[in-house]
Amino acid sequence: MFTALFLFDLTFWLYLAAVVLYVGYVAVGRSGLQLAAEGPGQVSASDWSVPVGQLATMITAVGLLVNTSALAMRAHERYLLTGTFAPWSNQYEAMAFVAWSIIAGYLLLEFKYGIKAIGAFVVSIGFIAMGAASLLPYRYQTAEPLVPALNSYWIYIHVSVTLTSYAAFAMAGGLGVMYLLKERAERKGLQSSVTTAFPNLETIDELGYKAITIGFPLLAFGIILGAMWANYAWGGYWSWDPKETWSLIVWLIYGAYIHARMTRGWGGRRAAIYSIFGLLMVIFCFWGVNFLLSGLHAYA
Amino acid sequence: MADSAAEEPLSKKPGGFVRWGQFDWSGLPGNIVDLLSSLKLAISLFIALAILATIGTVIQQGESSDFYIKEYGEPLFRWFQTLGFTDVYNQVWFRAVLGLLIVNSLTCFYKRFPGIWRSMRQSQITVSPAFISSLKQNAEIPLERDGGHVAEQLIDIFGRKGYRVSAARTDNGISVFATKGIMGRVGAHVAHVSAAVIVLGGLIGSVTGFRDFGVGLPGQTYWIPQGEFNLKVDKFWMDYYANGAIKSYNSTLTVIDDGKEQLTKTITVNDPLVYNDIWFYQSSYGDHWDQIDKAKVVIKEKGSDQVVGDVMLDWKEPMEIPGLGLTLNVTGFAADFSFDSETKQVSSKTSEHNNPAVQLAITERNSDGDAIFRPWLFVDFPGIINIEDSKYAFEIAAYGPSKYTGLQIAQNPGITIVWTGCLMIVVGMALSSFIFHRRLWMSIQSKESKTVLYIGGNTHKGQIDFTREFSGLLEQIQSLA
Repeated sequence: MFTALFLFDLTFWLYLAAVVLYVGYVAVGRSGLQLAAEGPGQVSASDWSVPVGQLATMITAVGLLVNTSALAMRAHERYLLTGTFAPWSNQYEAMAFVAWSIIAGYLLLEFKYGIKAIGAFVVSIGFIAMGAASLLPYRYQTAEPLVPALNSYWIYIHVSVTLTSYAAFAMAGGLGVMYLLKERAERKGLQSSVTTAFPNLETIDELGYKAITIGFPLLAFGIILGAMWANYAWGGYWSWDPKETWSLIVWLIYGAYIHARMTRGWGGRRAAIYSIFGLLMVIFCFWGVNFLLSGLHAYA
Repeated sequence: MADSAAEEPLSKKPGGFVRWGQFDWSGLPGNIVDLLSSLKLAISLFIALAILATIGTVIQQGESSDFYIKEYGEPLFRWFQTLGFTDVYNQVWFRAVLGLLIVNSLTCFYKRFPGIWRSMRQSQITVSPAFISSLKQNAEIPLERDGGHVAEQLIDIFGRKGYRVSAARTDNGISVFATKGIMGRVGAHVAHVSAAVIVLGGLIGSVTGFRDFGVGLPGQTYWIPQGEFNLKVDKFWMDYYANGAIKSYNSTLTVIDDGKEQLTKTITVNDPLVYNDIWFYQSSYGDHWDQIDKAKVVIKEKGSDQVVGDVMLDWKEPMEIPGLGLTLNVTGFAADFSFDSETKQVSSKTSEHNNPAVQLAITERNSDGDAIFRPWLFVDFPGIINIEDSKYAFEIAAYGPSKYTGLQIAQNPGITIVWTGCLMIVVGMALSSFIFHRRLWMSIQSKESKTVLYIGGNTHKGQIDFTREFSGLLEQIQSLA
């Protein structure tokens, strides 16, 4: 009954519900910061943002829980079938794991900073990741046994670390979109309720930067683990295979970003656009390379 | 390169007001070190490498000219050749950009690390209130209590938070300086140096190491010249999952050195054999091109065209066919038959089984004694070979190819250096990303019976967390003011 695929489907619907609620929260339009300033008791009865926001967080947390159990169930299914259990052994599982990382990262962020409006963007990206996974043909969704090259303990750590870095870049991209919307509204002097729920520009900018500073070393670590695996499997740590080259390209792109941030005054709008561009490159590295370019990673 | 010039003005202008100005990129830097260590160069090199590497993934690398002409057409291919786009990663310009990035990170280290090293040991404690209020985070708190008492409390608060605190008495008050997380800056420099370490390891590996591919047949022994020992392939086999997919392929190998068996190991993908620093990897497998395991031979009588015999022969194992006066032996195989008319030699053009041919040694007993024939029989073209002096016609109905094991053989003396560099870059980047260098300056000044605490601070990263920390600090300080 509770097969992994069923749980993955359930995850999809829960994330969809969470996105609707977060967007609803933003649309109702009061920022958490304002509320904090006014203090409790100032909230009028007509203000729906508090219950909607709470429900959004709750549904997201439940979604993450179901996502976690889906991955665990898939690990169990894999173990019975093949004796290995990494629940990120094909494109579908990898997408579901990226969605998991994005949502987990977002909940950590909400827990730490209490800014719910970000959910409308970041949870959306997690939802899109889950949705894109479910659009894959059924034969990509099932737990096929691993090809000999992948059948190694390296798969547990190399893949999970790399995918987590993608999730961090996805968060930065989502924050980039948010920044641009808020900036546009401010530039036009719009008093629209949609962006008033957003945190201030500097906060969005800094959080995006923070996400990239987390993703950047993780990707480096992921690439290095991949090199170590390649060295162990094929006798060479670097062979300019399209996937590894693209992950290096992504790393270089964020390397340029990290260094640009060190120059005075580089940030804000430019950084936001750049982080969206970076996310597009990540998506190409993650999806495009597998389908458009051939190479050693053709299987994953 | 990752560090701003933030700490420099401080050491240049002790105690004075420092303008937190924009780094000026206009005009050429007067000093070559400034240019080479510049952030702008670093950013440009990152982008340049990314673009060049992209070219190498869009255009397939190292293919034959026919491939490119078919794919892109002749004129475009000529351009690719001129520009080196068919082998991007080995081009001088690609290497030059990579080399320049290393120079960039090393000069950055050279230029900026000493300053960080100095600030780890001593810092500017006393600064002016004007400097403090120029910092991103700053506040002015009127004090009701004695300045000395507050200073002690501050030292206690920061000490408990893990800050390194120093204080000094000045002409008109007390200065307190607290700092934490210098390792965040050190980390960036560790990462910078590691890039050079990785490249150094790579160079050592490519100069002194090797990487070869060889095929081996079970039962045979091969000389490994780079290690001056023999390698015997004992066995090769494949394992399958229940659904028929290949689970693994495995070779049992024995190292024979000094005439003795030194080491036997079954290798599989992801589990190589290592002997004298030479690594043997299970890389591939395939059907051998000049040897087979078995051949099924059909014997027909020419006159009646009736099948009179149907035998399965093992490679180079003569077999007598009772009743026909024949002894048959499979003595040769060519997967893609080719005949050199000058040397009269048969060989396989490629390793593909495009036109397989089997050489059959036939000994036929007749009234004159034994006649011996050695025809090459084509598997895909039965019946075209006619042995005039024989009563029979022979056809190869099927054959069982010999599976060879494909071994990657490699030695890389630079690998330890590469992994050391990798460890450094991961540790360095992690330090740089997760530890923020925070500095807070406080000055307690008394003027006309009023005591004021000026407090300000900055961080090189993690502004948002620092802002939170700073406001938390202010609350704490206000409570003891």
